[in-house]
Amino acid sequence: MSQHRVPVEERLFSLVLALVATESGLTKNEILSSVQGYNSRYREGGDNSALERQFERDKDDIRELGVPLETVEDPGDPGNNQALRYRIPKTGYDLPSDITFSPQEMTLLLLAARVWREGSLSAESRRAIMKLRTLGVEADDPVVGYAPRLRTREAAFGPFEIALERNAVVQFEYLKPGEPAPTKRVVEPLALVQFHGRWLLQGHDRGADGPRTFLLSRVIGQPRVTQTTFTRRGTDFAARAIDQLEEIWLRNVAEVDVVPDTDARLRLSKREDTEVTDDGHLLVHYSDLALLADELAGYGPEARVLSPQSLVDAVLQRLQTTLAAHREETVSG
Amino acid sequence: MADTTAPRDARDKLALLLSLIPYLMDHDRAPVTDVAAAFGVTPKQIREAVHLIAVAGVPGESRAYLADDLFDIDWDDLEQNDRISLTHTVAIDDTPRLSAREAAALIAGLQYLGSLPEHADRDAMASLMAKLERGTAAGAAQVAVAPVSLRDTVATIRDAIDARTQVEFDYVSARGDGERRTVDPLRIESVNDDWYVRGWCHLRQAVRTFRLDRIDHLASTGRPISEHAAGVVLPERLFQGSSDDLTVSVDVAAAALPLIADYIPDEAARVRDGDIVHTKVRVAHYHGLKRLVARFAGSITVTGPEDARAAVAEWVAAGAARYDEQGA
Repeated sequence: MSQHRVPVEERLFSLVLALVATESGLTKNEILSSVQGYNSRYREGGDNSALERQFERDKDDIRELGVPLETVEDPGDPGNNQALRYRIPKTGYDLPSDITFSPQEMTLLLLAARVWREGSLSAESRRAIMKLRTLGVEADDPVVGYAPRLRTREAAFGPFEIALERNAVVQFEYLKPGEPAPTKRVVEPLALVQFHGRWLLQGHDRGADGPRTFLLSRVIGQPRVTQTTFTRRGTDFAARAIDQLEEIWLRNVAEVDVVPDTDARLRLSKREDTEVTDDGHLLVHYSDLALLADELAGYGPEARVLSPQSLVDAVLQRLQTTLAAHREETVSG
Repeated sequence: MADTTAPRDARDKLALLLSLIPYLMDHDRAPVTDVAAAFGVTPKQIREAVHLIAVAGVPGESRAYLADDLFDIDWDDLEQNDRISLTHTVAIDDTPRLSAREAAALIAGLQYLGSLPEHADRDAMASLMAKLERGTAAGAAQVAVAPVSLRDTVATIRDAIDARTQVEFDYVSARGDGERRTVDPLRIESVNDDWYVRGWCHLRQAVRTFRLDRIDHLASTGRPISEHAAGVVLPERLFQGSSDDLTVSVDVAAAALPLIADYIPDEAARVRDGDIVHTKVRVAHYHGLKRLVARFAGSITVTGPEDARAAVAEWVAAGAARYDEQGA
């Protein structure tokens, strides 16, 4: 577009420096006309709308990096966008000086960052470590015996995570188990949590006008992050969502008759909170009946559900569905 | 003009620029290679970043970016000795705060590590997470992982890995057979709430991956690991295909495709046909296949070969038959 084009990061860097250096803030025109990366393309008295749009996007990028870019209204001219001043307060930019990490803590942080080896949060954790490296703390010992990883294969994770940070309403198609077709949901996202290996979105469902939890693997297609934002009321949504799921998990118990010395017997008995009854049946906890039914169906004849009846029906229905799909011969012989 | 935000790449580069300045202020005459190692990037990327920093600055009162308004470096030291010295700084001099998502990524990662026995000290973890939260401008994003309790299995294996000694355990394969195994453990790995140990299996004379929840009667033998194990370099991929593997044709509901991605060989075609994808999965034997297919009822159908379909049908028929046992 322009022969004076400078790399994006140079423009963003210059913008951060200029806004940290100013006490009283700079107006948009002052920024566009003076800051490197904008100034060479600025037309005095001309049309700068493309440059203005660029500035709007740059502001978002900088904020998403955790830099507190503030807007200050002109007290003499409130509501006038042209008089708005932008600045980055140094105290808000600097990591508080009392935040330090021990070598053991640094080891943990490096391992925590490595947990995200794929997906959108791997870039985030890489940048976080980059910043924390500047504190000059060396990890005490490299962890070689572990390679734990969190995976976010569900296509909905990325969009939900972005919506969460922007407080943006999301729209998506959701297939509830037992329902024949997906329904459209309009949701204010409040937290993304992983519970027993499954990613869930906790949010306020605008259609149902109430709190709802959505399993990411049941989201059909790509969610849409809308331009509509909302105000979140409250804190600790993630911790509360996990507490609620934990309650549900402890409340729901299935009694399962398992064949001794089988995969089902071993794995179900090693599942968290499983108990054994006097007659050798397993009492298995769950938070989602359909998910447990999927798992139990996989064990085939190794497991037979005794209760609740809804789970018996769900498992039997799955087995029959699979049987029907595999019974007829596709080709003779 | 496309309404896109700057590529991730640009944000990474900006984070590097902002982080380099306080780092270089604390590390005078830092060799380029050391800085590159500290930040996990190449020396070339560091040199490019330093060149960019050296010509950047603030507009200043004149708004003309005069020399005094710019960063400066010792160019001779860089060109002759490949060392970096900042000789003049402007505007910033400290570690930048974390973003909401950066802090959330580390916090969720720490919560996940909380499952491991040596990180069960909840107070130490909580204080570390609180520091990360405080290190943001406006709080961390609400992403969390509920830790599970991994019992003693992990601790025993971890100790054996550290001591480079063997372990023994009963292992029930997907086939349903139980066998006593002697294993030189090399690494504990996980994907979400599935935990594994990888090691040299003396029975199979090869590197194998074992699910921790299929391990029973685990014992530490105290015997040193074999020479085979000492020379093993573990591949990044958790499951390695073997030449004995069976490949079967399947129809998968498009929505379920990511959930079985691990079983689809890289080279397999994925042919979209409405809501269905025709592709292939690779399994060690039909015992694994039938369990996989039965777990995804209605989402995966084996289309061939015929004996694979029969194995699945027999498995689920036997499962369904168990509900007839109850009688009346």
